[in-house]
Amino acid sequence: MIELVAITDGTLAPEAPVRAVPFDGLAVLCAPAAEGEADAETLWRREALLEALMEQGALLPVRYGTVVADEAAAVEAVSEHRDAFARALARVRGAVELSVRAVGPADAAPAAARVHATLAVLARDAVRLGGDEQLNGAYLVERGAVDDFVAAVGRLQREHRGLSILCTGPWPPYSFTEAG
Amino acid sequence: MSREKVLAAPLDGDLGPFERPGRRLPGALGGRIDADPESVERGLAQLVLTIVELLRQLMERQALRRIDGGGLTEEQIERLGTTFMELDRRMEELRDQFGLEAEDLNLDLGPLGRLL
Repeated sequence: MIELVAITDGTLAPEAPVRAVPFDGLAVLCAPAAEGEADAETLWRREALLEALMEQGALLPVRYGTVVADEAAAVEAVSEHRDAFARALARVRGAVELSVRAVGPADAAPAAARVHATLAVLARDAVRLGGDEQLNGAYLVERGAVDDFVAAVGRLQREHRGLSILCTGPWPPYSFTEAG
Repeated sequence: MSREKVLAAPLDGDLGPFERPGRRLPGALGGRIDADPESVERGLAQLVLTIVELLRQLMERQALRRIDGGGLTEEQIERLGTTFMELDRRMEELRDQFGLEAEDLNLDLGPLGRLL
């Protein structure tokens, strides 16, 4: 059994045991399926793998636990969405995902909305994800603009003392894998 | 959370509010029975009554099917009806005794939905 790790544009050359299986100008990166239960350790290892790969080129992470029988099945699984993947790859190329979460009292919702709006302007794309926080946002930020983005988060934190704001990253573009 | 992924932290540096406890797959009893010693008796009663209630509902459905099938005499149907009314009443009594509502006698089976 093999696990799908990411979709790339076909120029990326991963190290063993990860293999790039080409399909129609793109490639799906496959690795031997992890055995046993998924725990935090396994997920961080996968995260480290994705981060190393994204240093080499644009990629779309595949949902953890996507396992197929063999490489032929992997190609079959992804071929149908080839064009959507190509569009999504073009969108994330040269960018990383940053996460911004804000917690605060219930009446801080407008402040959280302003934080999101301000940060969205600095990002190539932005999305508010669900969650218990006042803000759980994902921002697709160009690599060269990460420092400015983080500085903006710092400013927003000082402006909105009622919120506790946390920015993490850079992440693979987990929240931007659809063509949009 | 891995600290090295933090790019900007709150002014007080407190990441506590952002911690997400590892979410485990909900067990069949997850969240339904409290292990607190004071409520464990109630929890056990809840579990037992849930199973009794499940059996009662299954029997009732089976009986209705047989009635619909037409294989029972008037007298047998009458007796079944009385039995189920009696069972229903007893369940209500037991629920009251343990301070449980009808909706407490259900188990959240996570991805499978509700038991009853």
